[in-house]
Amino acid sequence: MLFRSEDEIDIWRQSEGRARGAVLALPQVWDLSRRWYGDRLAASFRGRTAAGAIQIFQALGLKDGFWTVPPS
Amino acid sequence: MTPRDRDWRIRRFIYTDWLRSGQAPRESAIAREFGLSRRDAGLALQRLHEAHALVLQKASGEILMAHPLSAIPTDYRVTVDGLCLFANCAWDSLGIPAMLGGDALIEARHPLNGDQMQYAIVGGELQGAGLVHFARPFRHWYDDIVDT
Repeated sequence: MLFRSEDEIDIWRQSEGRARGAVLALPQVWDLSRRWYGDRLAASFRGRTAAGAIQIFQALGLKDGFWTVPPS
Repeated sequence: MTPRDRDWRIRRFIYTDWLRSGQAPRESAIAREFGLSRRDAGLALQRLHEAHALVLQKASGEILMAHPLSAIPTDYRVTVDGLCLFANCAWDSLGIPAMLGGDALIEARHPLNGDQMQYAIVGGELQGAGLVHFARPFRHWYDDIVDT
């Protein structure tokens, strides 16, 4: 979900009773999108492997437990 | 069930048809396109679903998502070359121009007050700001892909 500020995220979490997840700034999400979806229409695309997902997350510095990738 | 080569061609057709028409193709259209029975088309979609290559609607078996596209209206509307598409989430709203490699205008509904928020991709550059909250850890996304 897209918010304007951390305060808005906290208000939403409290109203929904949700734990805090991961928060990325929109430019980071654009970087993530380009890496994740840039090859989606390629004829050779056969899904994202665990190794491929790890590579993308690590390239963007997403290394904490939230972004842990389960085995394929 | 592992997708077969034809299943991946079906997947390609789904994206091509969707990006031409603005709507997810129905199972019947996929069956016609590939000369399949409805049952075999449905089985192909099910194999792609199990491979996380798309997401099917539980009740009808029709396509719900082919990431980053949503078959039903959502809070993230993406306009590309005059074509209106819906994204599954904030990430996917940027996934559409990333996938297409083109410009896009994105209109998002604010989760607290319903205000419209706009951002865009122009010439490969993001115009706009905001914070995206991801609720579920990545390893749990496919526990409930609608609630990530």
